Amino acid sequence: MLLNVKAYHKPRSIDEAFNIWSDHKDEAVLIAGGTNVALMKSHIPKHLIDLKSLALNDVKEKGNKIVVGAMIDIESFRKNQIIRKNFGDFFFKSFDDIASPQLRNMITIGGSVAAKVGWSDVTTCLLATESRLMTFGINGYQNINITEFNHLPRDKKPIITHIILNKEDFIYGFRRFTKSAFDISMVNVGIALKIESDIVKRSRFVIGSRPQMPDRFSDVEEGIENLKLDDNLPNIARNLVFEHFTGGSNYLASVEYRRHLASVLTERILTELGGV
Amino acid sequence: MKIKLTVNKKIHEVQIDPGEMLLDVLRRLGYKSVRRSCDSASCGNCTVLLEGKPILSCITFAASVDNCSIETVEGLSEKEELHPIQEAILEAGGSQCGYCISGLTLTIKSFLAENPDPDDKEIKKALVGNLCRCTGYESQIKAVRLAAEKLRDEKR
Repeated sequence: MLLNVKAYHKPRSIDEAFNIWSDHKDEAVLIAGGTNVALMKSHIPKHLIDLKSLALNDVKEKGNKIVVGAMIDIESFRKNQIIRKNFGDFFFKSFDDIASPQLRNMITIGGSVAAKVGWSDVTTCLLATESRLMTFGINGYQNINITEFNHLPRDKKPIITHIILNKEDFIYGFRRFTKSAFDISMVNVGIALKIESDIVKRSRFVIGSRPQMPDRFSDVEEGIENLKLDDNLPNIARNLVFEHFTGGSNYLASVEYRRHLASVLTERILTELGGV
Repeated sequence: MKIKLTVNKKIHEVQIDPGEMLLDVLRRLGYKSVRRSCDSASCGNCTVLLEGKPILSCITFAASVDNCSIETVEGLSEKEELHPIQEAILEAGGSQCGYCISGLTLTIKSFLAENPDPDDKEIKKALVGNLCRCTGYESQIKAVRLAAEKLRDEKR
């Protein structure tokens, strides 16, 4: 129980949610799935603002985009037919490896990004798909990228209302490494490749839980551009990740261990994607 | 604040603290099958079904489930008879100290409703959020297979 909570708000509109949040900024917390907030066991929040009442949990196709309500739980998201049609098994399998069935029914896709935690597997996968965020803040609605959102100071942080995914002809892979089945990742890797005639035309390499925020590794992306997706590529990418990895050490793993893990996970993803 | 909860088809109107967790409210209402253990989303003992889906009641704000339907193990048995899943756990030796069994039973119920004929890999994946310190899981995996069989037989 959060002992000092005085009010549990259920706003009916995004304006109302933002206004309540602005009025009580230092003492208010937004709730999406609620898992992070409940686990804080903090005495600071006096106002909880539940965003589930905004019914932002649908998935819609809009031209070459897919617009996803930020409050959808990750279990519903991974099983959604529109998501499966456009991303194959990528989200379906990647998110199946995250946490437990109970937690997947609670964790929301927007809440996972909004929490701005380095170990977020959801953020790594979304960065691999170059997803963007629709947010509502002091300047109204804005379409921003996840990295931009991650660098906003707390007092300028908007509310994430939607995740915007691109329909694109990339192939994707994701791997994470944990101490136990539903522990947080020691390191996670998400990769997207655009292949034309067996050649890598574009790529995205995202490594998270370094333990810093998930980020793209442009040196690796440039290093494999125009290379053939054959049985040499996983080894080349593995060495590039090993060379260019940046991260740190914490109670989960040392930077050296993370470097090794990230390069091995990269090799495994590319081996799977190339079918080699 | 006051919320309305339907627990095992019975409606409750209950006064809660705005920062209170569902686990505390359910236990206060007398649903003692809902167990407090880790209190940190790690063990699955507090699992209940919210609109048919398993969730962890130790990190669910009670205020967030106002007007929702909850199922606990108390709702499974009819006229003193065990539910087929409970029978299967008993027959397969899936319960030793019994502390984790309420959460496990509800996880199995939701899992088998979605996947009536699972293989062992799927069963292991489904049980990943329910820790058991006694059984070593083999007998619980066997119990899920047996429960699936019983539920399929019941439908025939």
